[in-house]
This record gives sequence, structure tokens and C-alpha cells, in this order.
Amino acid sequence: MKKKSESILGMAFFGPALVLLTVFLFLPMILTLIFSFTDFFALNPGLTHFVGLDNFFQIFHDEDFRQAFVNTICFVIIIVPLQGLGSLGLALLINKVTHCKRYFKVAFFLPVVMSLAVVSTLWVQIYGPEGILNSILAHFGIPAQPFINSASQALPAIAIMSAWQGVGYQMIIFLGGLQAINPALYEAAEMDHATGWQKFKDITLPELKPLCIFVFITITIGAFRMLVQPMVMTGGGPSHSTYTMVYDIYETGTVNWEIGLASTMAIVFAVFVMILTVIQTILTRDKEEKHENKKAKNL
Amino acid sequence: MKTRKQKICNWILAVVMLAASLFFLFPVIWMAANSFKTDAAITRDMNSLAAFIPPALNGNFFDNYITILTNTSFLKYTVNTLFYAAVLIVIGVIVNGLAGYALAKIKFPFRERWLMIIMLLMIVPMETIITIHFFFIAKLGLLNNVIGYILPMIVNPFNIFLFRQVFVSLPDDVYEAAQLDHCSPIKYFFTMVLPMSKSVVATVSVFTFLNVWNDYLWPSLVFTSGDLLTAQIGLNAITANENTTMGQTLAVITLVTIPVIIIYSFFSKQIVEGVVSTGSKEG
Repeated sequence: MKKKSESILGMAFFGPALVLLTVFLFLPMILTLIFSFTDFFALNPGLTHFVGLDNFFQIFHDEDFRQAFVNTICFVIIIVPLQGLGSLGLALLINKVTHCKRYFKVAFFLPVVMSLAVVSTLWVQIYGPEGILNSILAHFGIPAQPFINSASQALPAIAIMSAWQGVGYQMIIFLGGLQAINPALYEAAEMDHATGWQKFKDITLPELKPLCIFVFITITIGAFRMLVQPMVMTGGGPSHSTYTMVYDIYETGTVNWEIGLASTMAIVFAVFVMILTVIQTILTRDKEEKHENKKAKNL
Repeated sequence: MKTRKQKICNWILAVVMLAASLFFLFPVIWMAANSFKTDAAITRDMNSLAAFIPPALNGNFFDNYITILTNTSFLKYTVNTLFYAAVLIVIGVIVNGLAGYALAKIKFPFRERWLMIIMLLMIVPMETIITIHFFFIAKLGLLNNVIGYILPMIVNPFNIFLFRQVFVSLPDDVYEAAQLDHCSPIKYFFTMVLPMSKSVVATVSVFTFLNVWNDYLWPSLVFTSGDLLTAQIGLNAITANENTTMGQTLAVITLVTIPVIIIYSFFSKQIVEGVVSTGSKEG
């Protein structure tokens, strides 16, 4: 009797969330999967056919999607080392600095609190042909650059801006990791007259390794999802140079209403992101367990 | 113990980093300083150090801000966003909190399996299903409607999991004592569980607020009319207007950032703890 009333109570508590999860997560996921095998066009749903894998062939022959895919990969390749190494470097420096530590933390974290729309709007002005960045470059004798107005510079320009915006976030994660390293390790190294570089290579880096994997994959996932910056700054241009996968999903699905095709793109996109997430989970969990085992052995 | 050489090194490092931080922050400094200027002054100062210094304090100092606050719908957008955030915080804490409590403390069928599913859902990127959300809301005729905007945002697997992790360590004897006093489970949840877990409620509320305030894609899909826009979408509408000057653009983006800075300065502890322990808020 008691067990039965607990079941009812549990479902009553879990119920509201379950209804919303079903309508807004399970159902959309199933529909995305189903639609990806159809030519579902929301403005004319009556004409929907099952087309098998046609959509998957079609999107990879589609010039726009291929370009969006390449752009997304390029964006990842630029931003991951920039933001990952940048945040690690900043964390190491701030950990070391003895004066105004708090100011430095706040200063490098400040862009994180600004929204993507704000940062994008601001940097449209900064990257302007007669903007402040070109005027600073002129002081160093560098001629004016077109930045977001040229097909070759727009994507790197957006990547640099995005790294600038996000670097403080990972910096805080790394600072947390640095503070968690047992100071006894450094004391022992000092007794052995280890140099600063040796201490970094043999203590800091190995201790931070799980965190590094976590941070680099987090940045990669974030970069895959990039959309707002080109939406606000370039509209995907010039000549599709800042068109991303999510941008293509968004335009195909919500502007052109070709939900079948958009679903196929969404599946391809989700597979990439979820593989990355699973790799991240396995690698970081594995390392932590080994770490725990090592600790247990030492005790 | 500290040698003279070390002390000097420390000072040099601090000075170099100060210079680096100022260079790093130049876009923000430029934004704040020029948000008080006319466009003529912005252009005039562009090639000198004056570009990073606010103009002299005179009667026209706040002109850009006054124009934004009085001549545009910015205040309306701000009030809209605060209202959406408040509604989503209240509903979100109740719905996700109840679910988290059920998963933590109540033995109901397939509880472990539901927990697994919630954890798996955390890895699904929202961009995948946003097209379908848009299709649903459009079919239901809820575009340009507050309900259409809020409904898909209430349930959040990450928040459910966060609540569950905190509730699971609540002591059971309090619940047993409450049951002896004939306290109903729902009353117990609101009068005991939530007040005992203020910290996680604060964390979820802060992240919900930041999410609503900073979100761009979803509100830009749902809201097309001017009356319901959130601050981020409204900002876009204001800056896209031909009559908006560069100074006014900088003023409006400064205004949009101020509430977030206030939230961060009050809740920096919760946020940094959330960042360090979970590291999974999307930037």
C-alpha cells in the first residue's frame, strides 16, 4: 500500500517535467529523425514523401551546406588553440601574479558577461573600415584592413572576437584547477631544486591534463554551435564566408520551411556534437578514475 | 624569505599584465567612453588617445542615453525581458525542482532509468530541435505570444540534474518528522526542501536569468512584433534603425550589459562555483 502511494507521489512530482520533456524534447527528437528521411515542406505538408537517404546525399552535394560545413571546421581550427591556450596562459599568469589578482580576474572575465549580440554589435563598430582597430593599426604603420567586409578575413575576424569574448570563462575553470593542485608537490620539487619549467612540465601540466581535455572539447562544441555572431555581423557573408552549419539549419528550417532538409542537417550536426560530448565524458571520467585509483594506492 | 629580485619580478609581472589587461579591454573601454559622445566627436577622437576617454561632463553628457530611454522602446524591452525571466524562474524552479526531488527521494517506477535519460538529454544540442520547436509554436498559433516563447524553455534537464544532486543529500529524518506532523509532501517540498536548498535555487535562478537575458535565437524566432521583444532582439531593432547614431548604438549596448554586470557582482560566488564545478554553461 505504501509503495503504491509512493509511486503515485513520484509520478505527480515528476509528471509536469515529464509532460514538457515529452512535448519539447522527446517528440522533437523523434520528429527530427523521421523528417530527415522525408521531403517535408511545412508550407505544403500534403506532398510529403519518404525519400530514404536522399537528403543526406543532397546536403553533401549542396554548395551552401558544404561551405557551411567547411566554415564551421575552419572556425573550430582557429578558435580552439586561440581560446584554449589563451585561457591556460592567462590562468597561469594570474595564478602567479601577486598584486591586483582580483582586478585581473575581473578584467579578463568581463567580456564573458556581455551577450553575444552585444559583443557582435560592438565589434561591428570596432572592425569598421574607419573603426578604432584600423586607427590603432595605423599607429603601427599597418594599412587599413577590411576585416568582416572581406571574404578572406571575415571568419578569422569573428573567431578572434569570439575567443576574446569567451577566454575568461575557461580561465576561471583553469584557475580552479590550478588552486586544486596539492602545494606539497611543488614543495617537494623545490627541495630537488627543480627549475620553473620543470615544475610546469612535470607537475602543473600532468595535474591539469583532465581539465585541459575538458576545456578544449567544451570550446570545440561551443564553436560548432556558432550562429549569433554571423547573424548579427555579416548575415553569413561576404559570399557565404561566415555561413555556419547552424546558420544553414536555421535558414533552411525556419526561413524556407524545408523542415525535411533542415532535419537532415540537424542530425548531421547533432552526431558531430554528441560524438564530441561522449569523447569528452569518457576521457575525463577515465582520467578521474585513474586519478582516484592512484590516490587510493598511495594511501 | 622573499628576495629583492623576486619582489622586482613580481612588480614587473604585475605591470606587464596591467598593460595587457588594458589592451585586452580596449573594446569595452572604447564602448563606454564613446557612448557619451556625438558621432562628430567619436570620429574626431578616433585617431588619438581621446578615443578612450569620456568627454567633459556637461549638460549634453547623457544625451545618447536619454535619447535611447525616451525615444526608443528600450525600457519596454527591458521590462519585457525581466518579466519573462521572473516567470521562467518561478515556473522553472517548481517544475525542475519537483522532478529533481522525485528523482532524488521518491521511489517510483523506473526512477533510475529516468535519471539516466535526463543525463543523456543534457548532451543533446538545442540547435538540433529548435526548428521543430518553431514549427510546433507556429502550428499552435503561438508566434508573437508570451506563452509560445516560455513553454519550450521551462523544462531543463541540466537544472533537474542539479536539483537532484543537491536534494539527494538532504537528511531523511526531517521528512519522517514532517510526515508525523501530517505535513503533505507538496507542502513539505515548498516549506522545507526549497528553503533548505537556497544555494541551488539561487544558482538555477541566476542561470535562468542570464539565459533569458542573453538568449538570441529563440526570441528572434518567436517574436517578430515590436511590443514583445526581449532586450537583445530589441537592441538589434534599435541599432538597425537608420536614425540611430553610433554613440546611441554604444549607449544601448552598454545599457543591455549593465543588468548582467549587477547580477554577476551580487552572485559571483554562485556563478564561479557553478562554472568551476560543472563547467557546462554555454558561453
